[in-house]
Amino acid sequence: MWRLAALLTGGLAMLAGAMLISDVGPLHALRTLFEGSLGSPGAVAGTLRETSPLLLAGVAVFLALRAGLYNIGVEGQLIVGAAAATAIALQVSGPAGILLASLGGMAAGALWAFPAGWIKAYRNGHEVITTIMLNNIAIYFTGWLLSSPMKDPDQQSPTTGTIDAASRLPHVFSNPPLIISSGLVLGIAAVILLALWLKKTVAGYELEAVGANPVAAKYAGINARKSTLLAMASSGAIAGLAGAVQVLAYEGRFYTGFSPGYGFDALGVAILAGSNALGVIPAGLLFGILAKGGTALQIEGVPKGITTVVLGFLILFAAAVRYRQVKAVA
Amino acid sequence: MGAPLALAAMGGYTSERSGVINIGLEGMMLIAACMTAVVGVPYGAVAGLAAAIASAIALSTLHWLMTQKFSVNHVISGMGINALAAGGSSFVFAIYGDPKHEGGVPQLSVWIFFVIAVISPALLWLYAGRTRGGLRLVAVGADPDKSRLMGLQPLQIRFVALVATGLFCGLAGALLVSYVGVYTNNITAGKGYVALAALVVSGWRPIPALAVCLALGFFTSLQYRFQGTGFLHWIPSQAWQSLPYLLTIIALAGFLGKNRTPAGLGKP
Amino acid sequence: MNFAVEMQGITKRFGGVTALNSVDLQVESQTIHALVGENGAGKTTLMRVLYGASPADEGSITLKGQRVRHLRSKDAIAAGISMVSQHYTVIPELTCLQNLMLGAEDGPIIHPAKSEEKAEALAQRMGFSFDWHRPAAELSPAGAQKLEILKLLWRNAELMILDEPTAMLSPSDSEALFASLHKLTHEGATVILVTHRLPEVLEHCKAVTVLRGGMLVSEKQVSETSGAELTRMIIGADLPSARPSLRNEPGELVLEVSELAVKGDRHNVAVREVSIAIRAGEIVGIAGVDGNGQRELFQALAGVRKVAKSQIRIDGHELQSTADGLKRGLRVIPEDRQEEGVIESWSLESNAALGLQRLSPLAKGALIASQARRRWAATAAELLNTKYVGLSQPMSSLSGGNQQRFVAAKALGLAPRLLLAFQPARGLDIGGTLDLYREIRKACDEGAAALLVSFDLDELLDHCDRILVMNDGTLVDAPPGSSREMIGRLMVGAE
Repeated sequence: MWRLAALLTGGLAMLAGAMLISDVGPLHALRTLFEGSLGSPGAVAGTLRETSPLLLAGVAVFLALRAGLYNIGVEGQLIVGAAAATAIALQVSGPAGILLASLGGMAAGALWAFPAGWIKAYRNGHEVITTIMLNNIAIYFTGWLLSSPMKDPDQQSPTTGTIDAASRLPHVFSNPPLIISSGLVLGIAAVILLALWLKKTVAGYELEAVGANPVAAKYAGINARKSTLLAMASSGAIAGLAGAVQVLAYEGRFYTGFSPGYGFDALGVAILAGSNALGVIPAGLLFGILAKGGTALQIEGVPKGITTVVLGFLILFAAAVRYRQVKAVA
Repeated sequence: MGAPLALAAMGGYTSERSGVINIGLEGMMLIAACMTAVVGVPYGAVAGLAAAIASAIALSTLHWLMTQKFSVNHVISGMGINALAAGGSSFVFAIYGDPKHEGGVPQLSVWIFFVIAVISPALLWLYAGRTRGGLRLVAVGADPDKSRLMGLQPLQIRFVALVATGLFCGLAGALLVSYVGVYTNNITAGKGYVALAALVVSGWRPIPALAVCLALGFFTSLQYRFQGTGFLHWIPSQAWQSLPYLLTIIALAGFLGKNRTPAGLGKP
Repeated sequence: MNFAVEMQGITKRFGGVTALNSVDLQVESQTIHALVGENGAGKTTLMRVLYGASPADEGSITLKGQRVRHLRSKDAIAAGISMVSQHYTVIPELTCLQNLMLGAEDGPIIHPAKSEEKAEALAQRMGFSFDWHRPAAELSPAGAQKLEILKLLWRNAELMILDEPTAMLSPSDSEALFASLHKLTHEGATVILVTHRLPEVLEHCKAVTVLRGGMLVSEKQVSETSGAELTRMIIGADLPSARPSLRNEPGELVLEVSELAVKGDRHNVAVREVSIAIRAGEIVGIAGVDGNGQRELFQALAGVRKVAKSQIRIDGHELQSTADGLKRGLRVIPEDRQEEGVIESWSLESNAALGLQRLSPLAKGALIASQARRRWAATAAELLNTKYVGLSQPMSSLSGGNQQRFVAAKALGLAPRLLLAFQPARGLDIGGTLDLYREIRKACDEGAAALLVSFDLDELLDHCDRILVMNDGTLVDAPPGSSREMIGRLMVGAE
């Protein structure tokens, strides 16, 4: 217990120190953080907008994690999904466009995850390395797409054209400045579906068995390789959907630097979520608050990096706490 | 380009040979590069290097603490380390760094780093094969439980291994800044991951890892060369840039021959 | 008399369980001292205390006249105590030479030539030979065992603890081992031999200590006792006869294996063209010395190890996969319950469905039938009296014996047709073992067939209708009414 306390104290002291050297009182910083993220309808809308992609991407990471896989590649899968969805939505308009673009995004994400799943399942190559490599390739690949084939010739910067208003996901609540997109609803629905799937279906049970003890799973008649491959591809598909929804609900186009690191934040979200998929919602919201509040802090003169430090600290702390819980019952 | 990769790969070598998965190489390099600039500008090149090494070792020690004392999953701890480093470096640089600094960061001769990068793989190879410490390092990485039964102390051995990781990553980060004389945010841009991949592809062996890193460096410089000329101009530059990553994946897809993964990698 | 070790009143508790209750042990210098007892009698625990791996709660240890209260691993090593455990400490990735010196290197720098010379001298002294620079992965079980013994010599061990050293050795290798042990005692070493094999005790040991249920039963000079007396002391004379009185008339063919060949982990042929036929109602045991292909055969039958082509039929249907077998009533009690049988971080309830997750009534189509699963978990826990608090407690909170009860009970439920079990009584006490075999018999009376692998011949003799003997990858029938000795000879291929 004392080690955990030491870790927590150390982390908090570090953060307080960071606040002091940036000439902003810790209390004032905390207030700025919360006012900037939750203090007004506009701030709430911004926080929810930051949260939305983290829910779907968090679901993608969480699903893989339950199968014992570290899908660091959600970032890459998300951006190729976004690129594919944009390409389709630029061609096909209306509800059909939305549907096709979403499916296209999922297919692209799954395709991008597939090599990592296959190499893990059949070649025993660690998915962490392959997914990181695939992230880099995704960045160069979409960079090339934006440099010529998908580039809007009327624009200076590397970006695609903007998709039709009819191909945008509708708002479920609109009372400016508080606007809630159906993208957020999709994210919440995905979390709930995943939680139900893991808890209520035999397939979910088998996936978690492979993640928890692959050898025992084999004796229980579960094809661990197939499960691994499926889990990775599904995770990629959901990540691709996250990218598609980000285009269809919020951005309306694809451009260089489309994702500010949603895939990496989603790792933190999934780890913070703990063992229950529903935990992705509060964890995603927390990350959303930090992202939106961090922008407010930045205006006050606290460099944005501080929120990433807080996230890193949360990841380590959550992982260490989870271990203590497991130990306590053992 | 090859030398910082090789230095980071050697950091990965000591860590992973002792059984600790280390994707935190990226973060350690990044924080080191940042400290080189932040401390180096006011206090000189040597102080910058010292700060680089100290900060990387601090992160490496944190990784040891998390994985060995708190039994945190090695990959998760590495991600946490990388987040701390990414946020911490951009925060510190935003406050103390001086992007408009005229003279750039004071530099040490890059030849010092080159010599270290080329010699250390051979030294590590000798260390692993011919010394007590090296034998114990490899044994702990292969099977921590059996090593414990033989009277070894895996925690202690891994601590030393991770301090060495910090040292190498500190050098690698400092070299990145010394090359160009300026620090920019996220200067590592994934080089830590590439170094780790090079280590994996070379079967966790130091000398082949050096060769892979040098080949990657050569390849990168070739890329720049081609970009200027019309040679193979129909191939987009992004394809060239992706090629090392693609080759790493192909190498991981098997066809590496023998599986040389340290058997105890990631085990408590 | 000159004692190398005296242990007095050693008590060791694990949670609420007393593993050792005030046990004494006196070992005369320069002799081979046997420590015998059933599984779970406390032999290994006592040796772990002596080795310093787990400190005793009460009692004291006197080493060469020096009384020590809390013996730590370091002190034990300093006092020249070394142990070869059942689980080898040879690390396959290192070379033989590296394994030999690991933890006891001559100095900070390793001189391969000098070390090899020293190693070769040790090997020659024992009559062993090694290819020092080859990886230890290439060693046979006997080779690994020999290397373990050399490791003790390299460390100048004065008191050697050998835990079941002959379990994996052929008779000739065993003889060679004892010859070298006698040689070592002449040169000043003392050996404690933990064993199941009474002939070894009678032939090679000077004195013997018998443990039962964590208590000292007797300590005797071997010359003053007999095999029959030792057996009585080990088992306890007043035990009810376990032999089932009723033997079934076998029914229809359940398992049919024809000319099955299976490869081992080192690409060796582990199982050579084995044919088996087992009928409903039969309990068939596979006897043999560990490492003769039982593990590979078992895994092939469970569908988790690749076979060249399917020569395994259950009720006439080719076994396609484990999942397919489970559907046809295959039930498995794996060898290593923690690694293969349960998911320790999961609750008992979730574990209850493991392997049965697709079967009715635990699944309704693609969905989990939660209520049925809860009821089944409770049934499985009751069947073999698993001690538990609640079904939501994690599997890891159960003791090994209770986990084994749960795993075994799980395999006996939901209409088993073919039960495959590897050492099913491992970690069970005598009562638990009797419960288990009673339930296996009941299942077989109801139409199942059972195939059990065990290294404990007596267990098989007590409970099986038929015994097959496995030696060097081949399987032979022990003729009905074979004596223990006869089967023992078959086990080592002497007949």
